[in-house]
Order: sequence, then C-alpha cells, then structure tokens
Amino acid sequence: MFKWLSEFYRLSKNYIVFALLLSFSFFLISVNNNVHTRGLQTVGLLTTSYLENLVRSVTDYFSLSSRNADLERENAQLIDLTAKIRRALIENDQLRAMLKFRDKTSAPLTPANVIGRSTEGGKSLLTLDVGGNDNVHVGDPVVSGSGLVGNVIVASGNFCLVRTLFDGDSRIAARLTTAAADGIVIAGKFGELAMKNISRRYVVGKGDVVETSALSTLVPAGIVIGFVSRTADETGNIFKEVDVQPAVDLSSISAVFVMQYARPTEAVDLEKTR
Amino acid sequence: MTKKLLGYVGLGVLAIVLQKFLDDYAAINAVSPQLVILFVIYVALREGQLFGACNGFVIGFFQDLLVTHFLGFTSFVAVIAGFVAGFFYKENDVELAAKNLGFVWISAIALFVSELAALPIIASGELNYFNVFLKFTVGTTVYTSVFATVIVFINGRRVRYV
Repeated sequence: MFKWLSEFYRLSKNYIVFALLLSFSFFLISVNNNVHTRGLQTVGLLTTSYLENLVRSVTDYFSLSSRNADLERENAQLIDLTAKIRRALIENDQLRAMLKFRDKTSAPLTPANVIGRSTEGGKSLLTLDVGGNDNVHVGDPVVSGSGLVGNVIVASGNFCLVRTLFDGDSRIAARLTTAAADGIVIAGKFGELAMKNISRRYVVGKGDVVETSALSTLVPAGIVIGFVSRTADETGNIFKEVDVQPAVDLSSISAVFVMQYARPTEAVDLEKTR
Repeated sequence: MTKKLLGYVGLGVLAIVLQKFLDDYAAINAVSPQLVILFVIYVALREGQLFGACNGFVIGFFQDLLVTHFLGFTSFVAVIAGFVAGFFYKENDVELAAKNLGFVWISAIALFVSELAALPIIASGELNYFNVFLKFTVGTTVYTSVFATVIVFINGRRVRYV
C-alpha cells in the first residue's frame, strides 16, 4: 500500500502540488475581505506607499531641472502680468485725472493716444493719433489729467507732433500761484523744468504750484505745470533760480487731451493796435 | 544552488518593481504587459514544472501583497502559467529560456491559459464576458507576447555579442 502510494506521489507529484497551490490561491482570494487578512493587506499597502514615496523622491530629483524651467517660465509670465497690471493702474489713474480735468474746463477737448516719443538732441516730442481731421491745429495746447504737456507744432490729417515742456525750444509763460509772480518755464536739468525771470524780491517756497500764466498767448491760464522743488539766490543775479518738478510724468503718459484754444480775438486785436 | 536561488529572488523583486512601473506607465486601457508572469515562465522553463508553479505562487503572493492588494489572484494566474510553461521544460535546453522565439510562443500559450482560467474572477459582475475575454485574456496575451519578443531580441543580442 505504502509502495503504491509512494509510486503514485512520484508520478503525480507535480499535479498534487499544483492542486494544492491552486487551492491555497483560491483560499486567499476567498479571504480577501476577511478581518484576519486586513492586517496583511495593510502591511503590503504601507510597504508599497513607502517604496513609492522613495521612488518619487528620486524621480523628483531628476525632474528638478524641468520643474525649474517651468517655474522660470511661469515667473516670466507673472512678471509680464504684473507689468501689465501696473501699466493698467497707471493708465487708470491718468484717465480718471483726465475725466476730472474735462469736467473742470470749458474749452473743447479732443482725446488722443500717445503713439510715439522722441527725445533726441535736446528735443522732446510726442506723436498723437489725432490730426487736422479731428480739428487739431498747430499751437493747440496738449494736457493730461495732471497738467500741461506741451503744444502741437505739426499736424497732418490723422496725426500731430507735440513739443513737450522738456523740449529745448519750449518757452511757456507761467505763474507762481503763492507769490503771484510771472516767469518763463523752460526745460531744466535731469528731467526737471526751470522757471526763469522770477525776481529775488519774491518769496518762493518748496512745493509752490506753478501754473500757466494769463500772459501766455499759447495756453489758457490756470493749467498746472508743476511744483517748485528748489530755489536759490545767486550773488550778482537779480533773478532767483527756481527748479520745477513737472506735474506730468512724460515717461508713462499714454493718453492726453488736445485743447482747442484761441486767445480772445478782442484782446488780440487790441494788442495789434499798440 | 543558493546562489541561483538568490539570483531568482533578485530577479523576482526586480520583476515586481518593473511590473509596478508598467502598470502605471505602459497600461493601455487597463491592460499592461505581465512581466511577473513572464518571469515565472522563464523560471519554469529553466527549472521545471514544480519549481515553476511554486515560484509562481510565491512571487504572485508578493505581487498581490505589494502591488495589486488583491491576495491570491496573481498567485492563481502565476501558478497556472508556471505549471503550463513547465510542460515545455527541457533539462538541457537553456536556449529556450528567453533567448529564442520559442519563448514567445510558450509565453503566449501559458499566458492565454492562465488568463482564461482567471476570466471568471476578472469578469465577476460583468454582463459581457466576451468583451472581458477580448480585453483581458486576448489583450494581455498579445501585449505581453510583444513584450516577450522585445526581451528575447535584447537577450539574444546580448548573448551573441558577449
């Protein structure tokens, strides 16, 4: 009997083991949701999580350069976005100021966009997208919400060129509101303006408002030009040295008004009779 | 023998790790090449039916424990694959083990039989058995056979030039 059994096992050993292994596999499948195997499954799950975490930290290390490139790209986009937002905020402020200015003034105003800037050889010119077709004429004053920008010197059908206060040839009759003194505003040093012909007898302080004078034949009176930033009395000079911080930031200006201004004809005629 | 056994353990661990990657990155519509089963077939062709089936159970158990988290399923498939592959075991024919195209045919047969046997487990709750058969039985067999062809090609070249 034993011999027969031993012979049977020798011949069918593979099948017996196979059947046992299959049975045990079935048993494992059947006890998958059993409470006793949960512990084993948890251990497996934790081991896998730990190993995956380990692998991920390695792959993360190798993907650092591409992540860095992505972040640099994102950073560039954010910088661009911030610049756009900042530009929009500045433009918003300018437009609000322009709206206030429009409500205050009675002269007809033509809105215009600044489409070009030129600051070569002592010149400081702006190109606007309005011209003769928009009723813009040579000599018309150009203003922003903050104050005077300059005067139109050339006008074509759809465009015009503006000489700003910083141009070497610009001369604007101006008035110090506190001292009630008239003078001439010209381009100064380092992005500032200078006010000339102010007698030393006037008391001029830092922060005093400088605006266009009623004596001007080019611009109406009362438009802000800037604020006094420095005054000095030089020995042997009967006039004060007055530096003026301009009210308008020409580097960021994007929209302006062209004023249709003409001196009252009666005053002009009267001046001609002299 | 111990050295050989340790070699198989190392290969088995590598197969499980690679299987995890294949499941994550090479799966097409939830069907991935069964590298662990290929390893079981490879061992069965080198060591015989009994060793192949036992190896299938052990590696299948660890695969279930660490990757699938469904205890018994891979053991079941791998035991059948190892057992079927063991029929093709020839003591003096080492070339058959992943070095010529015979390995691909044997793998395809062993895989098809084992996946077919596992079909009732995979398709439990499914109404359309034929779709599951096409997707998992045929799909896995074809995909894994393609993978086996690549292994044979690489292994054959390596053996030829070394």
